[in-house]
Amino acid sequence: MILLRLKSLNKTFNHFCALTDIDFSVGEGEIVGLVGPNGAGKTTLFNLISGRYKPSSGNILFKDIDITHLKPHAICRLGISRTFQSSRPFPGMSVLQNVMVGHVFGKRSSLHSRPENKQAAKELLDIVGIAHKADAPAGRLTLSEQRRLDLARALATRPKLLLLDEVAAGFSPVLVKQAVELINRVRKRGVTLLIIDHFLNLSLKVSDRLLALDHGEKIAEGPPHVVMRNPEVLRAYLGLRHESERD
Amino acid sequence: MENDKKTMNFLTAKNRLNKSKTHWIGLFLGFMLFFALPLLVQSNHYILQVFTHALLLAALALAWDLLGASGSISLGHAAFFGAGAYASALLGLDLGLSPWATIPLAGLIATGLGLIMGLICLRLRGAYFALATLAFVEIPWVITDNWDSLTRGSLGLVGISGLPSIRIHGFHVDFGSSIVVSYYLIFAYFMILLGLVAFVHQSNIGLALQAIREEEIAAEAVGIHVNGYRLLSLLMSAFFTGVCGACYAHLVRYIEPGLVYGLHFSAVPMIFAICGGRLTILGPAVAAMVLYPMDQFVFHPLLPAGHEFLYGAVLILAMLFMPNGFWGRLRNAS
Repeated sequence: MILLRLKSLNKTFNHFCALTDIDFSVGEGEIVGLVGPNGAGKTTLFNLISGRYKPSSGNILFKDIDITHLKPHAICRLGISRTFQSSRPFPGMSVLQNVMVGHVFGKRSSLHSRPENKQAAKELLDIVGIAHKADAPAGRLTLSEQRRLDLARALATRPKLLLLDEVAAGFSPVLVKQAVELINRVRKRGVTLLIIDHFLNLSLKVSDRLLALDHGEKIAEGPPHVVMRNPEVLRAYLGLRHESERD
Repeated sequence: MENDKKTMNFLTAKNRLNKSKTHWIGLFLGFMLFFALPLLVQSNHYILQVFTHALLLAALALAWDLLGASGSISLGHAAFFGAGAYASALLGLDLGLSPWATIPLAGLIATGLGLIMGLICLRLRGAYFALATLAFVEIPWVITDNWDSLTRGSLGLVGISGLPSIRIHGFHVDFGSSIVVSYYLIFAYFMILLGLVAFVHQSNIGLALQAIREEEIAAEAVGIHVNGYRLLSLLMSAFFTGVCGACYAHLVRYIEPGLVYGLHFSAVPMIFAICGGRLTILGPAVAAMVLYPMDQFVFHPLLPAGHEFLYGAVLILAMLFMPNGFWGRLRNAS
């Protein structure tokens, strides 16, 4: 079953085409990696799906509901949650409170009492591996801990689809391994994932499919090993694509 | 013990003043002090008048900080204050309504003005929002100044009735003529507002406002209706500021546009909130109750013409050395 469908999506910023005619779908339960060089339009695509930006044209359907013109908070309540490239914790709150904000405001389907909320938040902190920091102010976490907190808070909104923006960028091989385990744990909770992964250190290990973007255009999609052998993708990553056009 | 600690951690940072018993004892002693004040000063008219105004300004600072909690700095609360003052005074003078009715109505009219301000200004952030609110004050001011047939224009209003009297079981309390009773009425309003602000801060509304203030983009991404909550905080703030203006009109019994719409009532709550601690519940109120009497008892006799320099000086010192306000500083130290 198709969970998310993008229909000829365009986004221009002052005549600059950030995304051109993107058609793509994500099936329920899939993990899709979104790859491409800097400036390919990956984060712009996330901002469109999560409602922060509005597309110049085209439609976004989630569970067959048109969410193109919904506000971010409404999209979140429908079941799409996201993390940020540079994580954005609420610095003055404790780590636990950060996660509880996601619980309280995320999905209105069930209203929980505060103790229940707190218990659920603790479990999420456990899953991402920062339960021992529950009472610390979120502003004092390390970069890696902040990314985990971002993820826990996003999960707290009980999403069906989770957009992860560069969760593993700059991670050491040990941390990447932990991130892979983490993503598999998230998948087991029945969450569909769309993962931006510029450096390819995560998506090749966990993705069912890849979507490759360059200069705002879709250049390839398919199983990871196929996409990574695609000459267009290789050229994009090695910076040869636009030179070759001149030949 | 462990469990207690965690429960407290759930409360928003602002509410940590409830952290220990000493805070409750301090709060109780403060309450008793203000409750017994008329006895302590033997109903000295001047001293009581100063503290009545101090409590009114403290309530004004609390109301201002309801919006401040969302991260927005308003430089235009005189719009609500003035509209509240004029609304209550005119409803009393022209329709003969009792202040018991006109004061809440004034609050509602100020809320309506808040809705207009919200629709115009809430799309702005930070300094742009602040400047837009500063400009917004001109709208009700100019209307009041020029709609002579309704507002008597720049002449102002005289003969506003005093705060009303109550009769309970034949027991007659005349608010208008007794400063002691006026004092208790403003004190009661202040306590009610304080309780309400404390409630808002530890509710989900407070949690949403803190999230918006600290990281707006993340707040909307976790399902918080950012502009809805910002508007809610503006409307609550406008209502209680309007009520403050109405109380002021019945307390002073004479108002004119320049008095109630002037920069003074926009700046003073902001100064108290920033000096006392914008992100604390009690800080703005404590600052009002310390600074205003200090201004009136110490600086006014010394410098009759320029006594308000105190506010400017304290504001600059607070921003340089205690950006979280002195109450915020105390809280962090404890």
